[in-house]
Amino acid sequence: MILHDWVLSPNCYKVRLMAALSGQDLTLRAVNLYPEREHLSDEYLALNPAGTLPILEDGDLVLGESAAILAWLGEGWLGQGKAEAARVQAWLSFAERLNATAGRARNIDMLGVPGSLSEAQKGGRACLRELELALSDRRMEGGTFLVGDGPTIADIACFPHVMLAPDGGLTLAPYPSIRLWTRAVRALPGFVEMPGIHRLHELSPEPEMETELR
Amino acid sequence: MKDQWYPVAMLSELGRDPVETILMDAPVRVWRDADGTACAATPEGRKLPVTEAYHHLWTSPGAPDRPLFDIPEARQPDRRFVPCGRVRVACSPLRAVENFLDIAHFPFVHTDILGAEPHTEVARYKAEVREDDDEVWATKVEFYQPQAAKSASGGVTTQYMYRVPAPTSSVLYKTSPPRPGEWDVIAIFVQPVTETRCDVWPWMALFDETTPQADLVAFQQMIFVQDRSILENQVPALLPLDPGLETPTRADMTSIAYRRWLKSHGYTYGAQLVAA
Amino acid sequence: MTDPSRWHPAALSQDLVPATVIPARCGPHEIALWRSETGALRAWQDRCPHRGMRLSHGFVRGEMLSCIYHGWRYDGEAVCRKIPAHPALEPPSSITVPRFRVAEAGGVIWIASDPGNSAPPEMAEGLRPLRSVPVDRSAAGLRDALGHDVPARLEDGLCVLVQEIDETRSVLHALTSGNVEPKIASRRLESLRRRFEKEPAA
Ligand SMILES: N[C@@H](CCC(=O)N[C@@H](CS)C(=O)NCC(=O)O)C(=O)O
Ligand code: FES
Ligand SMILES: [Fe+2]
Repeated sequence: MILHDWVLSPNCYKVRLMAALSGQDLTLRAVNLYPEREHLSDEYLALNPAGTLPILEDGDLVLGESAAILAWLGEGWLGQGKAEAARVQAWLSFAERLNATAGRARNIDMLGVPGSLSEAQKGGRACLRELELALSDRRMEGGTFLVGDGPTIADIACFPHVMLAPDGGLTLAPYPSIRLWTRAVRALPGFVEMPGIHRLHELSPEPEMETELR
Repeated sequence: MKDQWYPVAMLSELGRDPVETILMDAPVRVWRDADGTACAATPEGRKLPVTEAYHHLWTSPGAPDRPLFDIPEARQPDRRFVPCGRVRVACSPLRAVENFLDIAHFPFVHTDILGAEPHTEVARYKAEVREDDDEVWATKVEFYQPQAAKSASGGVTTQYMYRVPAPTSSVLYKTSPPRPGEWDVIAIFVQPVTETRCDVWPWMALFDETTPQADLVAFQQMIFVQDRSILENQVPALLPLDPGLETPTRADMTSIAYRRWLKSHGYTYGAQLVAA
Repeated sequence: MTDPSRWHPAALSQDLVPATVIPARCGPHEIALWRSETGALRAWQDRCPHRGMRLSHGFVRGEMLSCIYHGWRYDGEAVCRKIPAHPALEPPSSITVPRFRVAEAGGVIWIASDPGNSAPPEMAEGLRPLRSVPVDRSAAGLRDALGHDVPARLEDGLCVLVQEIDETRSVLHALTSGNVEPKIASRRLESLRRRFEKEPAA
């Protein structure tokens, strides 16, 4: 499987994370999305006319939406039964709203993409409040993840934009349930980070306090 | 600092239509004339001095009395040149440079790439202000790195040299994994937008004949964006130039020399003088 | 303007699990609030003495808090015990982080700068912590609307503690009494917030 990838893209990271958590190998093809805008070259537009990354190639199958790629990679991560599967779909739509708000704020604030930062932040904050309420409900039910007993592609789709919200000037400090949920995702076996998302150093042991010999 | 050269655009992005940016609190327009000359001017039409170098356009709000610093390696024909675009950071331009000079954070911020526990020790190195060139230098720096560059395979102890030729630019030299006898060159050119906001333009001149350009750019973007959340969360935002507020150790000798040099020249845009 | 002896509600206990650090506030002060692996609670200035990094971005291993920038490690008394760049060095005991007083009662974490012998406000028995929500409204405005009891008791078993963030922002730490269903109380809290954010500030 080939992932056409950009290291700073939250949507590409969803795919890298899903593959890592489910133990699937990806061949990464770096695309110079910025500064070269290589994803808008004829070659890439032929592959994905939408002009976005990620793009996944698996044999003859070419997928150009992160949600579709998660569905393709996420066997066993799609929710159990019809109701859970439907709720997962709701979160995939929510992840698109995150992309258009918090994700947009990050593009404006970090990469200088033109647009109204305050509008994007306002939308992002509304999304974070909505997510905090849902995750607080889940805790009251004894749950940790967005849908069902374990992690699903719903968590993977929402996690990157939420963790990276501070890159767009949105604070996560007022959302305790979001914090606990992001920690649970970061603690999953096989978790990989992306720039802007640090790993939980507390999960590694403290090295012995001894001088190293050179 | 008004009379220094600053990067304001990548030459490859410069077009006929003026683009507006901000340099030290003031708007600046940059474009390329019909006859191919790169231009910079204030919105009122005052022309600013320009220099084209290292894939970037440089200008100054004042009147520089010296040409832009030289990077001799930029003239070596067998190097790969890698401009990486811009990353905007809500931090002092001086804090961005100081972080670039620091190696002790590698195991915690660039984990498993530029450093990893338990290899956290910073061996003694040499830091100095070279009076003849009026530059800050650190030499004989070395650090254990799990993946020193895109071209590296496996952990190595990497040698470094650091150079600060201008208050908001820094150039480092590190062991080139494909050519251990040579130095790769990595620089950050920092555009001070305000005292607490900057645009950072990373640039590299490497020995690497095989790695695709997009991977080289991505590697540097990854490293720099790992630093961003650190830079935006240092308190106070302004770099303290007087001792007292922060606690340097021997590993921070480059930062100490840099702060002294800034203070001795009155380079205080983005700095605070009194320990608050 | 800020009274150092005053106790500020900072978080609900359930939101700070062992071996974590979170950003918090004590009046105007930014705080790194953390709980060790065995559950000991500390509130320190949110600033590492080395290069000023916020300690709330750090990590807890065992009974110590480490800064994420260069890994300086502080013990429960806020004294620096390890500088990873110099593994053989015993850090000078003068490297410390300013500490705040912290207390935990009835599922609420309180912080004060210099409370003397005072204790956090006593609250009625039997209140169950619900959740904390940020509100875009001044604490003074909220207290005027809710009354000055600690906690303020609203209808239907909802009780709230008001925490001041700045002139325009606050946090409501909500608890419940009686047998009100938590998810219903949570929604009532959301409507309360909508109402407060719609009303023009007094
Ligand atoms: N709905 C798409 C959105 C992907 C998206 O926004 N990708 C960004 C990178 S994070 C992109 O390709 N942007 C290119 C551009 O805006 O020109 C998905 O989820 O895959
Ligand atoms: S700033 Fe905290 S360890 Fe360096
Ligand atoms: Fe760094």
